[in-house]
Amino acid sequence: MLSLRNLVKVYPGPVAALRGVDLDVPRGMFGLLGPNGAGKSTLMKILSGLLEPTSGEVTLDGADIVRNPEALRPHLGYLPQEFGFYPYLTGEAMLLYLLKLKGVTAPQGLKKLCAELLERVNLTFAAKRKVKEYSGGMRQRLGIAQALAGNPKLIIVDEPTAGLDPEERLRFYRLLAEVAHERTVLLSTHIVEDVAMLCPRFAVIRQGRVVAITSPTDAKAAIQGTIFEGTASAAELSELQRTRRVTQAVLFEGRNRVRIHAPNAAVPAGFERVTPTLEDAYLLLMKDEQTPAEASAPVHEVAR
Amino acid sequence: MNAQRLGTVVRTELAHQVRRPLFVILLLITFLVVWGLSSGNVTIESGASQVGGQKAWVTSEFAVSQTLIFLTFLLYTFFISVGAGMGVIADEEARVGPILHTTPLTPREYVWGKFLAVLAAYGLALGAMVAFLVFFHHVVPAGENAEYRGPLSLLNYVRPALFFGVPLLVFMAGTAFAVGELTRRPVLVYFLPVVLMFICAFFLWDWSPGWLDPRVNRLLMAVEPAGLRWLSETWVKVDRGVEFYNHERVGLDALFVFSRLGFIAVGLGGVAWSARHVAQGLRGAPVRTVKGKTLADVPPATPLGTFREHAPLASLNMGVRAPGLLSGLWDVARVEARGLLSQPGLYLFVPIILLQTVVQSLNAVGPFDTPLLATPGHFAVRSMGQASTLVCLLLMFYTVESLERERAYFFAPIHDATPVRTLSVLLGKAFANSLVGVAILMVTWLAVSLVQLAQGNVPVSLVPYAIVWGLLMLPTFVLWTCFVLAARAVAGGRFGAYGLALAVLCLTGFAAVRGELNWATNWPLWGTVLWSDLGPFELDRTVLVLNRVGALGLAAFFAALAVRLDGRRAPDSVSLLERLKPRGLLSGAWRLTPWMVVPAVALIGAAVQVGQGWQGDAAKKRAKEYWQKNLATWKDAPQPAIQDVDLDVDLEPEAGTFHTRGTYTLVNRHDKALESFALTGGDHWEDVRWTVDGKESEAEDRSRLYVFKPVGGMQPGTVLRVGFDFHGRFPRGATKSGGKVEEFILPSGVVLTSFGPSFAPVIGFLDDIGVDPKENKYEPRVYSDRYYEGQTEAAWGMGTPFTTRIRVTGPADYTLNSAGVLESDEVKDGRRASVWKSDHPMSMFNIVAGKWTVLRGEGTAVFHHPSHVYNVEEMRRGLNAARKYYSEWFYPYPWKELKLSEFPGLATYAQGFATNITFSESIGFLTKSTSKANAVLLITAHEAAHQWWGNMLIPGKGPGGDVLSEGTSHYSALKLAEQLEGPAMRMEIAKRLEERYAKDRHLDAEQSLVKLDNSREGDNTVLYDKGGWVFWMMEDLLGREAMHAGLQAFLRQYISSADHPVLQDFTAAMRPFAKDAAAYDAFVQQWFHEVHVPEYRLSAASVKQEGAQWVATVTVENTGTGRMPVEVAAVKGERFPERTEEEAAKGPATQSPDYRDARKTVVLGAGEKAEVTVRADFAPERWVVDPDVRVLQLRRESAVLKL
Repeated sequence: MLSLRNLVKVYPGPVAALRGVDLDVPRGMFGLLGPNGAGKSTLMKILSGLLEPTSGEVTLDGADIVRNPEALRPHLGYLPQEFGFYPYLTGEAMLLYLLKLKGVTAPQGLKKLCAELLERVNLTFAAKRKVKEYSGGMRQRLGIAQALAGNPKLIIVDEPTAGLDPEERLRFYRLLAEVAHERTVLLSTHIVEDVAMLCPRFAVIRQGRVVAITSPTDAKAAIQGTIFEGTASAAELSELQRTRRVTQAVLFEGRNRVRIHAPNAAVPAGFERVTPTLEDAYLLLMKDEQTPAEASAPVHEVAR
Repeated sequence: MNAQRLGTVVRTELAHQVRRPLFVILLLITFLVVWGLSSGNVTIESGASQVGGQKAWVTSEFAVSQTLIFLTFLLYTFFISVGAGMGVIADEEARVGPILHTTPLTPREYVWGKFLAVLAAYGLALGAMVAFLVFFHHVVPAGENAEYRGPLSLLNYVRPALFFGVPLLVFMAGTAFAVGELTRRPVLVYFLPVVLMFICAFFLWDWSPGWLDPRVNRLLMAVEPAGLRWLSETWVKVDRGVEFYNHERVGLDALFVFSRLGFIAVGLGGVAWSARHVAQGLRGAPVRTVKGKTLADVPPATPLGTFREHAPLASLNMGVRAPGLLSGLWDVARVEARGLLSQPGLYLFVPIILLQTVVQSLNAVGPFDTPLLATPGHFAVRSMGQASTLVCLLLMFYTVESLERERAYFFAPIHDATPVRTLSVLLGKAFANSLVGVAILMVTWLAVSLVQLAQGNVPVSLVPYAIVWGLLMLPTFVLWTCFVLAARAVAGGRFGAYGLALAVLCLTGFAAVRGELNWATNWPLWGTVLWSDLGPFELDRTVLVLNRVGALGLAAFFAALAVRLDGRRAPDSVSLLERLKPRGLLSGAWRLTPWMVVPAVALIGAAVQVGQGWQGDAAKKRAKEYWQKNLATWKDAPQPAIQDVDLDVDLEPEAGTFHTRGTYTLVNRHDKALESFALTGGDHWEDVRWTVDGKESEAEDRSRLYVFKPVGGMQPGTVLRVGFDFHGRFPRGATKSGGKVEEFILPSGVVLTSFGPSFAPVIGFLDDIGVDPKENKYEPRVYSDRYYEGQTEAAWGMGTPFTTRIRVTGPADYTLNSAGVLESDEVKDGRRASVWKSDHPMSMFNIVAGKWTVLRGEGTAVFHHPSHVYNVEEMRRGLNAARKYYSEWFYPYPWKELKLSEFPGLATYAQGFATNITFSESIGFLTKSTSKANAVLLITAHEAAHQWWGNMLIPGKGPGGDVLSEGTSHYSALKLAEQLEGPAMRMEIAKRLEERYAKDRHLDAEQSLVKLDNSREGDNTVLYDKGGWVFWMMEDLLGREAMHAGLQAFLRQYISSADHPVLQDFTAAMRPFAKDAAAYDAFVQQWFHEVHVPEYRLSAASVKQEGAQWVATVTVENTGTGRMPVEVAAVKGERFPERTEEEAAKGPATQSPDYRDARKTVVLGAGEKAEVTVRADFAPERWVVDPDVRVLQLRRESAVLKL
């Protein structure tokens, strides 16, 4: 179990990236959803031991990884949002190097293990190519391979499917789902679909705070019967946005296809009730007004 | 190219460049340095240094050129290289390329725009430098430095900036831009100016031996980017006088103009190449088409996904075990090494460092500009300074960039999250980078060994390299690398780390230049260690070990500091502030304390040893007390003379100790009674006891000046026997920071002389003890014109010659040499006792001992280290010939034997004590002769000549006296070279002496020979080289026989005289032997009493055939001063063709039968010219002034004109 208690991170400025995060992440897949700038990557960096928090506690199975980040490292698989490799090494040499740095052992030997891992991320054909010749997707897959290596207790993946084609994305999901049975996998993303597909539970983070911890099913159930969809002209859309809670508005064949949240109010003409999606639930959470506590808490108070 | 887009790039980049801290720091440094230099520290080395002498202005075009070259090269090249070279790299790191290059901006506009902006920025900086110079030279009040400043002439500033500054900036900016763009490696960008600086500072600016072929010299001038070598060799090397430098413009020649244009072309070419490369890179690497292959034959970059089911990951049975310190270190080091191998810098700069180190060290020159053999030990030590500096710079760049690599490649998040230990990462990287240094040293060793094998002289050996490079230099590299790790951890980034590391290097260099380093602070061991094949590092061994232990201890400390600070986890700003509070800092420091124990103990130990050593503060204070207490009373006070010396000296070389017992028989040769007399003792003497006429005496100890007051005084003619008994260690304790030591008792050899109180007392007060050049240096003494009239005291030695008996005892395996003839030599109980007795009086004595082999000649002997056999045959030949011919030419050799003994090369000198010449191993024994110049013979002949000029004849104390020792010895050596090796050898050696004189003299400070007192810069070459030449020209004037007769008469007159001669006595003594007294007087006036040197130029040469004859005409002009009859010859063919070493070994060079010449003699005064016509029965090829090298002149190489 990964536990976060009152985690605060203030950057010089001062700017508060995390304003007291409390979270328990159980074994299995867990999603962390939030818009850009919500504090997801800061949280990921703190959890992976790369960033010291201003205050707060993080424990993994009871071990304090804020005070002793070294204790976490042998048990961590980390795929950051932005990363690179030594361009002068081949993919195979790079992975082998990382296996050694991680202290990974395997009865069949590291070279064979390396080949197996490359096979699983579909990079066998490029094992002998230098990393500088890899495409963005290939680099991402190499990153996935290293993150999975060594049976880590905790896997942290930050926006992992960026740059992957649909086929590779599915393959990666399968891999993650497979390994999530025995460990904690924390998936940070702003792609709601990924969470919906993979995570039995997820947290939504907004402006440095966890605003919801739920499951996709519960999230959708909470708004069941309150989502309506219809089309609208530009002028009508503008009026809807002023008067209603519009969850989504996408262009479809030149017209705006609009989804609105209408729990109590009358529904505009032409709008029909539809099954809510997780995206509806997420976007509604994002549109919620700030709580008074969030709005008024001075930074220094948060950063105690 | 679109001008608008180009302009946009230029403006944007220029605004960025001039706002960078890099640029602002450059302006600030320039301002401060120009301010500092405006006091007259950087000017042409001309003019007189003494008070009231005419000064070279700092405002002249020549001085401004020098200042501008130094500043531009040492400061601007580094900054402009970073500015230009990092431009494209920074854009790449910022990943702006894809967006930038999808706009209409073309690669040419992009590249040229960025380059022009950098050039414009640093052009502005150059303009600022010129403005600062003008401001500080002409606006800021000069105060006491007014005499260094001339009137304002803007051209004096603008011309150097245009001719020297601009080409250099274009070249550096262009090449750095190209290096950065082509390689995308920051290290190469930084390293470019560093390597250039080293090549220039240690080779191109400095290396110009007299024997250098002028064509090679011109080539080196052309390839030197700063233009300093050209300026120096063309205008400054031969001093033209302060008037010239203060008022004339720097005249440009074709070589300079074309080479500057060449540098500009290289710079611009580099940019053009970069533009092409960028354009190619945007389109991807070109692929060569393969015949017969279609697109279908080429595999796709990524094959279609072949999805297949895999066993679950769990089936791989992966486990994890955090890597240990060593295994992590090894893994990091291996990958780091692969990274290094993939960098072109390794293959580009390692050969350059190798070449620089090898060439520089192999081209080392010894006394009289003679080349030296590179034995393994000497090469290893000689290359230490450069190699350690270069490798430290290399390590700094590689280590910092290596630490930055993860960040630069965005690999840090993954890398830093792994469980590998930080210490493993840091040390692994340091270890891999250190391999670069080790590789450089190994390749250097291989290269030098190959050179040594090819030379076939010295044996190849790995042991000295293992000792010097392994035990001494590797700790420096380890310390430096760990320091760089710590500096980067403290500074937190690339440029901060460079700033800290470069600051430490610069401070160390600054302290080294000021002589403020000692064994506790000299971490790179700059200038400390000297090698001796006879026994390495015997002197200062303890402090050397302490220094190295301290270095390794500090390395561990810095490594610990780096691990502590180099957090792989970014610190939180709040907790960082907590840690920076005094309590946090103290707590952090306390945790590091254990790491400080070893270095602190070792370095404090070294500091204590230095303080207690003979160059330490306590010893200096005692010496100063000697000077202060006794100067007024005892300087020049009359003293008794020695009549006889009887010494018993017991040596313990292994312990470095001695015990002396003996007596001086003193006589009062003055016509007045001496109330008291004094003997100077050594600071290292212990348990000193004195007797007078056999009775215990309590001499007054005035800080080691022992004053005796005989009852009733010492009446004229009275004889007293002063006995003494003392012992000590010599030298006592450590030196301050290594370096040369002239006298010592060491296991590898013993050298002791009577010049100072090392092992025997010296009569009277020694006015050089306790003199600090910064505090109480003497002003040059002004002598009256007729100071030499009457009795002149001896310039050195202990007055009139005396008899000696010196008994030396030491271990049986040592040979114990001293002055005189060996009376007995016995070995008893493992101790040897050798008794030396003077068979003819002498004025000074010495002891030299070692474990030698001896090579005996005709009344001569060469005692040498068994492995130093390279030149001993030639030295014996030289000694034999010197003894024979000097006896014939000058005066019969009065002693039975003439021996020459080798001592460890802890100092580079030779001293010709009567019968017992001492030679450092670095002189003669390791001199490298060539087929053109027999350097071994020259040195041996010179030192042997001191038996006559310096021992039999001791010159008078005063101006011109030394010329009768050193000038005459050089003259004797020239004569002997011609006698043994023929005229070609004499001509070659004479040309080299002439070159050295031209290069080293200071025209405005130069004294005539009769005024020469060796107190001014440039006096040394006048004393030796001009002195030797003038005696040679005198022989030409008088004729060989008359010269010999005159010299013999002169020596007969003065050898036993209490009146010691100076040059005026010499010229008077020689006058009767001149056939033409008027011509002799004119010669003496010109060469002894005045300073004139001719300089000949040829012009308007023509030749026409008249029947079977050719009529050749040329105009000769004396652009120098002085008037000498000189031959001008129309010549055909090479007179003395080049010979191989084997041919040279067969005998003197003979004139080629194909050589022909037709000569005419002209006599030209200053500025006079004459047309010379000769008729020849051959077709002349060129005109040559002074074909036999008989007239001393300047720039002889220019007094040749091809027809």
